[in-house]
Amino acid sequence: MHASTLRDARDALVASHELRGTGFGRALGALLDDALGGLLDELQPSVSVPVALVALGSYARGELCPGSDIDVLLLHGASRKPRVRDEVRAAAERLWYPLWDAAFVTGHAARTVKQSIALADEDTDGMTALVHVRHVAGDPTLTAELEQRARQLAQRRARRLVEVLAAAADERRERPGPVAEMLEPDLKEGAGGLRDVHSLEWAGAALGAAGISGLAERGYLTSDDVRRLDAARERLLDLRVALHRVTGGRSDRLLLQEQDAVARAVGAADADAMVRDLATSAREVAWIGRDAWSRLRAAVLGPPGRVAHRDHEVAEGVVVREGRVVLTGTVAPSALTVLEAAIAAAEGGLSFERSSLLRLRAMHPPTWDVWERAAFLRLLRAGRGSIAAFEALDHEGALTVLLPEWEHVRSRPQRNAYHRFTVDRHLLEAVAECTSLLDAAEEPERTFDGVVARACRRPELLLLGALLHDIGKGADGDHSAVGADVAQRVARRIDLDSEGREILTWLVRHHLLMADTATRRDLSDAAVVDGFAAACSGDGERLRLLYLLTIGDSRATGAAAWGTSKAALVRELFVKTAAAIERGAAAAMASERRHALTERVGADRAERFLDALPDSYVLAFDTDAMVGHVDMIERSEPAIVCTSLPGGVVEITLVAPDRIGLLATASGALAVSGLSVREALLFGTSDGMALDVFRAADPFGRVDDRGTGFVASTLHAALADELDVEARVADRVRDYQRASAARGAVEITIDLDASDGATVIEVHADDEVGLLYRIATTFAELGLDVSVAKVATLGERVIDTFYVRDRDRKKITDDRVLGQIRATLVARLADSAVA
Amino acid sequence: MKLVVGIVKPFKLDDVKAAVQELGVQGLTMTEVQGFGRQRGHTEVYRGAEYTIDFVPKVKLEVLVDDADALSVAERIMESARTGKIGDGKVWVLPVDGVFRIRTGEAGSDAL
Repeated sequence: MHASTLRDARDALVASHELRGTGFGRALGALLDDALGGLLDELQPSVSVPVALVALGSYARGELCPGSDIDVLLLHGASRKPRVRDEVRAAAERLWYPLWDAAFVTGHAARTVKQSIALADEDTDGMTALVHVRHVAGDPTLTAELEQRARQLAQRRARRLVEVLAAAADERRERPGPVAEMLEPDLKEGAGGLRDVHSLEWAGAALGAAGISGLAERGYLTSDDVRRLDAARERLLDLRVALHRVTGGRSDRLLLQEQDAVARAVGAADADAMVRDLATSAREVAWIGRDAWSRLRAAVLGPPGRVAHRDHEVAEGVVVREGRVVLTGTVAPSALTVLEAAIAAAEGGLSFERSSLLRLRAMHPPTWDVWERAAFLRLLRAGRGSIAAFEALDHEGALTVLLPEWEHVRSRPQRNAYHRFTVDRHLLEAVAECTSLLDAAEEPERTFDGVVARACRRPELLLLGALLHDIGKGADGDHSAVGADVAQRVARRIDLDSEGREILTWLVRHHLLMADTATRRDLSDAAVVDGFAAACSGDGERLRLLYLLTIGDSRATGAAAWGTSKAALVRELFVKTAAAIERGAAAAMASERRHALTERVGADRAERFLDALPDSYVLAFDTDAMVGHVDMIERSEPAIVCTSLPGGVVEITLVAPDRIGLLATASGALAVSGLSVREALLFGTSDGMALDVFRAADPFGRVDDRGTGFVASTLHAALADELDVEARVADRVRDYQRASAARGAVEITIDLDASDGATVIEVHADDEVGLLYRIATTFAELGLDVSVAKVATLGERVIDTFYVRDRDRKKITDDRVLGQIRATLVARLADSAVA
Repeated sequence: MKLVVGIVKPFKLDDVKAAVQELGVQGLTMTEVQGFGRQRGHTEVYRGAEYTIDFVPKVKLEVLVDDADALSVAERIMESARTGKIGDGKVWVLPVDGVFRIRTGEAGSDAL
């Protein structure tokens, strides 16, 4: 047959739209058989050894599609004579040229049986290619010999072959991904696609069985499985032929842009209907395949080490047996048992034993008592493993008993450029992504998102939100609004508490709000941030949950939906809103305490007292403490109150005329008393009084022994200048100095951004007696006013933090002044205090 | 032909798109980019966890236009992207040697 004739005949077949699926494959195969058979007959006399033409791959299986490669092998008898090799080569070229000229892509070779088998033993692809061959023309005994030896080889290498094929099947689930759940699935290489069916055939050959039906005879598949696999293969081929027809190309990826035309070609109602039918078939293949592989693996590899035959009970009526989850009861399982079994599968990355799986169908409907609810949430929390467990539940109809709304999103396509997965898989991916965000909270490394996750009070609402956020897709109207109604219904059904119901519904309703606001609004505009804080009801928990859901949802969508840009914008919105919410909460707390103080001491006294103090004062003390402070301040004379708090902490409240250096005097007196100051809150009133509160540790138990009286009297004496504080502190320093201790460097950090009203100075130094006194003395010497001091001890080192202002109570920002402060502090602290 | 390139604040993308469409621009390419100008980066803190942004998120726009339209498109981008605050971005115009539409093979102005 001439190349152009062959080409025309092929084009005619492609144009015959009534030839679909395997019908097309067989017709094209017959055409090629004719053409190549005729050619071989002509060529045979020119070759002095026997020859046979053998079809491989989809040509052998009768599964050719318009864009398929034509895989052919010219088998020839062995001969050492160079002349014969030349004859074979010439014959082969005369066979292939018409194919090339007719624009077929070929996979071709000319080999002896022995060469073919040797090559097949080198790699799995070569072996699987020879497992299923078909004689086209020439000497049939050559083909028969090849077939027999290839099968023997496959059986000898069964263990390796099954291992490699099973691993490749696993790999296809990740890349290119499951046909049933990808929006643009790969019909051939995707999990649940044609390659999965072929792999089972090859595995059958390795076990000495004739393909898929052989697997059924040996009990790896049921006859029902075989029927379902055949139907699925037919549907996949029908779509693949249609896809190649529509594109005129060879790609097996069913792109969104081709789906309408392909749907028309196969007579589907529309693209969505076609994609759903495809998903149903692909799920069957993936499902049957997964189960078969785990048993094939077990069969060729033997029992996996000591994973053992003993049952391991994981819950009542649920055991793990030989790495599979088994339901042991005899009656229909309760919802709790099914959930426990799913948890065991999800957490252990295990699959269900086949007959247990079938028993899921008889599951009792859930009552949603506290145990079932907790089990459902634990299943969500199991992470990536829960995806397969949910799919198992769905496959046997148990998921829709638990969550009837799932029916609506199963295999639902979504037509946009961002999504990778159908809605159902996207929801499960989002749950898994959110789980990994929650896991980040447990990790020792403090990441930003981990800190947010750790602060969440109700992480379970994040997971429920992830599971339900797109549940409204496909219904009429805004999917967020529809989804919120569904979430409300689900929340009631599973008997969530009222706060949980409200937050869950809100999360689903607003699951796109944060991403939209972050990417489309001006985040430097305070009104935008305040508006978003209001949308969160001023609730930090809602903000945290929505932040994490936004990340989880975006990551589950696809690479295009989450990049560093969007992440940075969403984080910026989060931080700004969190600050706005805290400001709002602080304002609310301040007004509440103001009100409480008015109740206790009357409006006049409360007002006079509070108006004289800075706004930060009310946030620092509870009402009882404030009432005590009112009494002390109204006496207008130095007053000292000393109380022991639980945990060995002594609180000293001091009221005295304000002056620079007061902190130095007080901290010196406390050091002399043997107390170690941990925190000091220092307030100046507008009428010249200081209200200072110190919280100090009592390392020597002095207060326990002697009561608090001596502390107060030491402070009184110091304030009245009746005590040489400097000399007494120096004495103590000398007493406690350790002779050979190496001194660490003094480090000073100055932060201008931490506070609006003050410069924040941190002093890092070795922990020593009188350190706070020395720092305070230096500040006094520099004429600085200190409003808050905190002491953090880290082993031998301390970090003292001071909020400092100048004499006029203004924040210090001048570099020259700051430089002088830094230098003076370093100089004073580096000089040994005993100098 | 010219290529008008703009770097703008991400939330201004819709405004800019609408503005240049009014001028009859047929197509625009956007890319999420990050960089710094005078705005520099900043550090965000939540409960002690710090996150430093060295490069600020921006959107880069590319519009192919006829020579005569380049300045007006650049101006419209500026007007529509301006907030008056730091980090509003930049616009620049580059000469283009050739333009082709892949599907039809049209060239030059026909391909815009």
